[in-house]
Amino acid sequence: MGQIEKAPTHIPGLDEILEGGLPRGRTTVLSGGPGSGKTLLALEFLYRGALAGEAGIFIGFEEPVEHLRENAATLGWDLRALERQHRLFLLGGHIKPDTLVSGEFSLKGLLAAAAGKSQEMGAKRIAIDALEVALRLFDEPRQVRNEMHLLNDWLQQAGLAVVLTTRAAKPGSAPFFEDFFESMGDCIITLDARVTDQIATRRLRVIKYRGSGFGRNEYPYVITSSGLSVAPISAVGLQHKALGEKMTTGCARLDEILDGGYRRASCVLLAGLPGTGKTLLCSTFVAAACGRGERVLYVSFEESEDALVENVRSAGIVLRPHLESGHLRILARFPEAMGVEEHFLHTLEAIDELAPAHVVVDAISACERMGGKQAAFEYLMRLLNACKERGITILMVNQTASDDLAEISGNGISSLVDTVIGLAYKVNAGEITRLLHVLKSRGSRHSDQQHEYVITDAGIDLREVYVGEGEVLTGTARQVQEARDRAEAQRLDWEIQAKELELQRLRQLRQQRAEDLAQRVALRVSKPPAAGNAPAPPGQRKG
Amino acid sequence: MAPRPGPDTGDASGTGMYRFRLFIAGDEPNSVTAREVLARLCREHLGGRCEVEIVDVFRDWEAAITQAVSVVPTLQVEGPQGGRTIVGSLRNEAVVLAALGLSPTGGSHER
Repeated sequence: MGQIEKAPTHIPGLDEILEGGLPRGRTTVLSGGPGSGKTLLALEFLYRGALAGEAGIFIGFEEPVEHLRENAATLGWDLRALERQHRLFLLGGHIKPDTLVSGEFSLKGLLAAAAGKSQEMGAKRIAIDALEVALRLFDEPRQVRNEMHLLNDWLQQAGLAVVLTTRAAKPGSAPFFEDFFESMGDCIITLDARVTDQIATRRLRVIKYRGSGFGRNEYPYVITSSGLSVAPISAVGLQHKALGEKMTTGCARLDEILDGGYRRASCVLLAGLPGTGKTLLCSTFVAAACGRGERVLYVSFEESEDALVENVRSAGIVLRPHLESGHLRILARFPEAMGVEEHFLHTLEAIDELAPAHVVVDAISACERMGGKQAAFEYLMRLLNACKERGITILMVNQTASDDLAEISGNGISSLVDTVIGLAYKVNAGEITRLLHVLKSRGSRHSDQQHEYVITDAGIDLREVYVGEGEVLTGTARQVQEARDRAEAQRLDWEIQAKELELQRLRQLRQQRAEDLAQRVALRVSKPPAAGNAPAPPGQRKG
Repeated sequence: MAPRPGPDTGDASGTGMYRFRLFIAGDEPNSVTAREVLARLCREHLGGRCEVEIVDVFRDWEAAITQAVSVVPTLQVEGPQGGRTIVGSLRNEAVVLAALGLSPTGGSHER
């Protein structure tokens, strides 16, 4: 059996869960309560499909088509434009309330219209919304069954990707239609909107998908200002691999600062101003990892492969042999080159091909150029999840414009970041010095101090931590202070020695006095009515 | 394709004329029944004071779209009492006659 063909929904997050989209030539049943957004999802499937060049027909039994157009307009969707281009057709199937009924009837009128129109347009997709409303017209189960068969037969021969929405049965009501829908659907998705603790949550779940894998969790989704967005975030988070053991950062001093190095399968964020050596610090790690025989994927949004390799080589980090051995792959792409979806899919493809132990993203700050903050957030969130699910370490570089902590933690992803290292400049006594600071390191002790580092032609060199009076000192100022402190330390040493001698003397004195006191007490006990209170002279002690 | 009169066009009221448009789907049983019932009604109750147009949605699906016909058979009526829509095989003639403002015994009870 071959892979089934799929029609992408183009709804953010949903195609990942569906592993590509909804089945072509088959029926997807979408069930949900009122207000769950099932009509919206069905319409968005057609709308985004039409934008991508696939014509579609929407049959609505509940809402007049004019309402659909108006509702869609609030999301910025211009349905009329697509209708004019014959890429979308809205067919109202509701029956006027003053219609009289005499004898039996069927939905063949609608099917004939849909069939004719779909041939004329060359439609690839069809959505049938609120079918249960149409089925309620029929009095007998036998008639309902006939109609469903009629519809199913036509859909099967039409070869369209079908989305059929139906209101979920209330608990306790006859599940008559449900059985039908279930047998009709090759793919069944439920939407659930509920309010818990005054917070509205919406969850999407794929119940079955014949002939395809799918994400089996409940996924939160939101209705944004431009349509649905399924977030495979918190539910997927449950599948995240635990953080692994420590491994070297490639820099021994940094390993000490981090109490052993980065943790495997963690997310490390390196943030700092331009030119602080973020790429170097990453490459140091990359070279070390590749040297151990581990594979690394380096996603470069700023530099080409050659530029990157050459730039770090001048600081003594050699990547070329790792590229040649296949341990390192550099995926260099300009953020503007494609949309966020494509970026993500390309990255994911590379991850699945290379099966790396570590992924570097340089730089996440460039991701906004894929189409704004939201696009960057989506890309990073999904990439982070993909890495965390696979137990891959992810190093993210964030170029900041300031030392602002909110900016450093980057694009709202901070909750998923395990380690944050800030890199900064300091201008002091005419010198520029570089400072490294571990701002966060989940699950391990780490030095809280700032560390000076220099970029040498043999990589990054971290210095011993120095804590002066209040502020961290660096450069020449640091040397001056060190000399001053050495003198002070010497002076303190002597003072300590003097004090210790004094202490010794005082201790001896105290002991002697205590002994004298004990002697006097003993004398009083032996001659109770002692004459006078004169202290007993020393030396009267009895053996 | 000849233009069709919309539901509001044509002055049928003055002459007591009935204008029917029956949407059917080929020769499936309900459609056959509806045609038979309508033909008999015209004969027995209206004495020929009617025009009948039959639209087969399998041949003219565009008419089904423009007239918003979802189910077949659908009978659109323009008569002295105004416009009505009746769906079904028309087997329940009492409903149809009432809708047309006719008594079951024949003849009309127009006021």
